[in-house]
Amino acid sequence: MLYRTAGQFKTSYQADQALFPVRQDAVLLAIILAFAWGGLPLLASEFAFQTLLIPILIYSLAALGLNLLTGFAGQLSLGTAAFMGVGAYACYKMVTLMPWMNPVVAILLSGGFSAGVGVAFGIPSLRIKGFYLAIATLAAQFFLVWLFEKWGWLYNYNASGAIQVPNLTMFGIYVSGPQADSRVQYYVVLAVVMLMTWMCINLTRGTLGRTWKATRDMDIAAELIGINLMRSKLTAFAVSSYVVGVAGALFVFMWRGAAEPNLFDIPLSFRILFIAIIGGLGSVMGNYLGAILIVGLPVVLGTVPEALGIPISSATVEHLNVMIVGALIVFFLIIEPHGLARLWALIREKLIIWPFPH
Amino acid sequence: MTKFTRIAAAAALGAMVGQAAMAEGLSTPNLAYRTGPFAATGIPLMNGQADYMAMLNARDGGIGGIPIDFFECETGYSTEKGVECYEKTKSNAIVSQPWSTGITLQVLPKTNVDQIPILASGYGFSPMADGKVFHWAFNTPLSYWDGASIILKYIKEMGDLSGKKVAFLHLDHPFGKEPLPYLEMKAESEGFELLPIPVGLKEMQNQSAQWLQVRRERPDYVIMWGWGAMNAGAITEAVKTKFPMDKMLGVWWSGHDADLRLVGEDGKGYKSVSWSFPNSDAPVMADVKKLVVDAGKSQTSPEEMDGVFYSRGLVISAILAEGITVAQEHAGKPDISPADLRWGLENLNLTQARLDELGLSGMVPPFSTSCANHTGHSGGWILEWDGAKFVKASDLIMPESEAISELETAKAREYAEANAPWPVNEDCQM
Repeated sequence: MLYRTAGQFKTSYQADQALFPVRQDAVLLAIILAFAWGGLPLLASEFAFQTLLIPILIYSLAALGLNLLTGFAGQLSLGTAAFMGVGAYACYKMVTLMPWMNPVVAILLSGGFSAGVGVAFGIPSLRIKGFYLAIATLAAQFFLVWLFEKWGWLYNYNASGAIQVPNLTMFGIYVSGPQADSRVQYYVVLAVVMLMTWMCINLTRGTLGRTWKATRDMDIAAELIGINLMRSKLTAFAVSSYVVGVAGALFVFMWRGAAEPNLFDIPLSFRILFIAIIGGLGSVMGNYLGAILIVGLPVVLGTVPEALGIPISSATVEHLNVMIVGALIVFFLIIEPHGLARLWALIREKLIIWPFPH
Repeated sequence: MTKFTRIAAAAALGAMVGQAAMAEGLSTPNLAYRTGPFAATGIPLMNGQADYMAMLNARDGGIGGIPIDFFECETGYSTEKGVECYEKTKSNAIVSQPWSTGITLQVLPKTNVDQIPILASGYGFSPMADGKVFHWAFNTPLSYWDGASIILKYIKEMGDLSGKKVAFLHLDHPFGKEPLPYLEMKAESEGFELLPIPVGLKEMQNQSAQWLQVRRERPDYVIMWGWGAMNAGAITEAVKTKFPMDKMLGVWWSGHDADLRLVGEDGKGYKSVSWSFPNSDAPVMADVKKLVVDAGKSQTSPEEMDGVFYSRGLVISAILAEGITVAQEHAGKPDISPADLRWGLENLNLTQARLDELGLSGMVPPFSTSCANHTGHSGGWILEWDGAKFVKASDLIMPESEAISELETAKAREYAEANAPWPVNEDCQM
């Protein structure tokens, strides 16, 4: 009823090719965006900003970057966290070497370094595929984390080996560092994530996205119809690493405030891969749903016993939390192996034809 | 079925602990880690901390007539969870105990904004001792640089350092790298060769490469800065390579009974510097046993109570409790604010007489703090593993304060500059 598409005629190619051809989708998105820009900042507490809103957005962006590579171009990667690290360290070096630099510009530029490193480690993908490629990206993971530990210049020879985010201002307002207000950081993250998402949606719909998908579905066939596999794979690595690098810079500068090298180790890569897989490979929206499930849900679950006044010790809550989230992951993957995005697509389809199923 | 009953028992126990946490009073959260890879070393510490506060609540009805709401937020030693816990608990907390160098580094810059003291007893960032720069952070009673200094002093007592080779086996992590600036400085002035051997987080359990290096380089001493699984790994490897155990000295976090029990007799002679010592005859231990452990309010096992780590947890809570007492006297009211507690922690004066009065005789060396000195530099003992337990192998050794405080001031200034604008309080008297 609410989702009826009848009567929405497209009279031009442009209208047919629009980002949201179904009006209800556009309305829904507008409501969500209005809520994200206007509603949440008024309602949310400092705790919600720091543990829910900002991390969910940043993890979504990182998963989106990985999804471009793994979901759209079919190149399995286990090095996401290391590429995030490249973004974070590049951003750190830029703002410490050039303190006058606008922090948002620095964040957006730091993705460039990550893209370069991503392409370098993407070269093996020209010869190896699937699990073998995953191992090659795993090498990136080990090598880069080792580099973050050993190359003192990267962390300005700090005795602790960790990077600390300085207080940075933009138009006279603190946007990162301990002096920054969570709300300001949230807006910066939201703006960057929106920009990136918009860019990714359009990229995946265009020529580049189509070549990626062709490469993913059957690379030999793609080559036969004239797709340059090298270009297709390397652009996928470059764009993916760029987005992941920006996510890494946001991760440290807009959220964590400090980072030690082992933060960018395999567990983070896996976490992002899980978000992408549970959200749905080859989708953009899935990353957000996956991040809400994997990053947001444990935080919310952790506050439930206290809110209800159930006296359970904190360690027990943590154990229960792991069990519940694990069970939910299994549950969602059983009912829809293609991820949450596909689940939503099915629901949407049902809503469109409701109340007259075939 | 037994497993089920055990889970049920654990849940019931958890319920009881939780109930205590619901009580009203001074909110003193602890960012505990009873889960995750470091749980084995965390649990005795957390139990010691919780038991002391529970004992105060049971014996005296809290501190100054107000109960202590000592509750835990589980981090699993993960920095991300730690920050989540900090945000969750900070609203009415009078103190925060971050319990990991990683979490401390994250929380440290926020202290000036949130104005909540953080108590990182025996860990964290060594320059935190400089109270002029780090107004809200405390690492009583000893910093890592103090610990390194005590170890070097002890080695020096056994013979001249110059021309010797000292291997520094450390976790490749902010925690393990902490003492490096001090050791490097001393290597230059004392004329010994420092050989840093990092152990990556992934290599903690398999240190054959590192010990091969030790065997090849034949250092005269091995100083170890390890934590969690790294300690057990290093000690078993040292035994395997037949490195003389009496030439191996660890920081206080490398002196966990359970790690040494693995090698038993073979570990004889291993030493660890410590600012706490288990004294089962101390009056406070009797009170804890009677009012908390025997009353079933604790998760502690009897053998754990005699361990070094349990007593260390207890001492940490005692330091916090003393800070609260001092703050209450100064503020003239029992219901103190975080700022009051900061004053309290800055004006600790734990003399031997006061320690005896608190029933902590022999468990921690006397020390005092001031506005400029947030550590106290109590000095420490060298503990030696005798094959079954740790015993004191030295009298109290004081750290070389002059050189350390110079280094602290320099590094603290560096930190403040990197994090400008950072308020520096110049009014403090040394």
